Amino acid sequence: MNNCLAEMPSYTYAVKAAKLLQSRGINCKIVRSEKKCGYSIEIHGRCRDSADILNKYSVPFNMPNEPLLRG
Amino acid sequence: MLINFDNAATTFPKPENVKKAALYAVERFGGNAGRGGHELSMRTSEALYSARETVAEFFGAEPENTVFTLNCTYALNMAIQGIMNGGGHMIISSIEHNSVARPAAKLAADKKISLSIAKVYPENQKTVESFRKLIRDDTKAVVCTIAGNVTGQILPCREIADLCRKNNICFIADGSQACGIMDIKLSDGINILCTAGHKGLYGITGTGLLISDGKFRINPIIQGGTGSSSESLVQPDILPEGLESGTVNITGAMTVKAGIEFIRKTGIENIFSHEEKICKRFINELKKDGRIKIYRDVRAEYVPIVSFNLNGIPPEKTASKLAEYGYCLRAGKHCAALAHLHLGTENGTVRFSPSVFSREENAVKLAYLIKNL
Repeated sequence: MNNCLAEMPSYTYAVKAAKLLQSRGINCKIVRSEKKCGYSIEIHGRCRDSADILNKYSVPFNMPNEPLLRG
Repeated sequence: MLINFDNAATTFPKPENVKKAALYAVERFGGNAGRGGHELSMRTSEALYSARETVAEFFGAEPENTVFTLNCTYALNMAIQGIMNGGGHMIISSIEHNSVARPAAKLAADKKISLSIAKVYPENQKTVESFRKLIRDDTKAVVCTIAGNVTGQILPCREIADLCRKNNICFIADGSQACGIMDIKLSDGINILCTAGHKGLYGITGTGLLISDGKFRINPIIQGGTGSSSESLVQPDILPEGLESGTVNITGAMTVKAGIEFIRKTGIENIFSHEEKICKRFINELKKDGRIKIYRDVRAEYVPIVSFNLNGIPPEKTASKLAEYGYCLRAGKHCAALAHLHLGTENGTVRFSPSVFSREENAVKLAYLIKNL
């Protein structure tokens, strides 16, 4: 299972994103970003689905192409 | 014993659950929201988000467009200056509070915008018409109170919002005297709703809200720490943090959340009818004395506020006499120079404003006292 990290522009959007994904059965959690000051969503699997969901709800995020974490 | 009939300034007492929320927040949410990854910060951040969700749901908005401010004046200044940043024409009503009138007048005096004032009439259709006539090609924003803070007159905001929508004008509404008493939603056509958290929403002082529908970009008038993008010298262009520089009043936000929960449980219609019943009884008692002028017109609608004057007695003197008996009423101009110009009350008025905790018998006793001054 691939894990990935979505960098969020703010804590508020991080919670919004986490709630959206979790309500659709996607396992994720909010973490403090390591590289920049801010928050990210650590997503466990279904990275493509997660990106589609966030795009659909106009939630801004940055997800590097390569998965940052591998389970 | 103090009997507070100055709830239009700030509600007192506060509901029990609001007091408990304040204490709980001080004890538990001692971190800085959105500022760290440790447990205290994360717990506080979660609490703040839950407050945003409660507020957003109550006003039909999105949590990320719900901004906590110090009070309604800050919210209005942020909205007015943030929208009118690039200049243009703005319209305000003739009964606006100084929190609208002063920033608008300052922008106009500095020749950054042009300003028009739409006359308010007791009849809604005439009021809408006076706004319609002032709209120009360069009109960028209309700022209008939902209910005036001096007489409590309710303005036809849905119709004014409709005018704005048709002309692609940003409609900024001041909900200070309406929110928590009337069911206000962004879907009424409001682009930016500004309101106090400490009045009809029963939060503590030092709380206000700016709630946007996201259609118009609000240029931030205050820059600083937002908890994100710290590496950049440019203020993040994202709500709510972009408009929330500095540490948010987390205790205040939690009391606003609790206040809204109290309103939901009590029922907004029940709150309005309780306060309106007290106002009607108060008015009926005052009407028995021909010396008393009440600033209400049968053609207009009002939130539960009553402005009055005793013939020949300055309003401040009336209020100070009543204060000797423990009654708290506000007198004077109520920070609303335009509204008093509109009313022709050069010395101001005495304002009676109950809350959900006010009792009819106290209003009757007060009316008796006024009649015997």
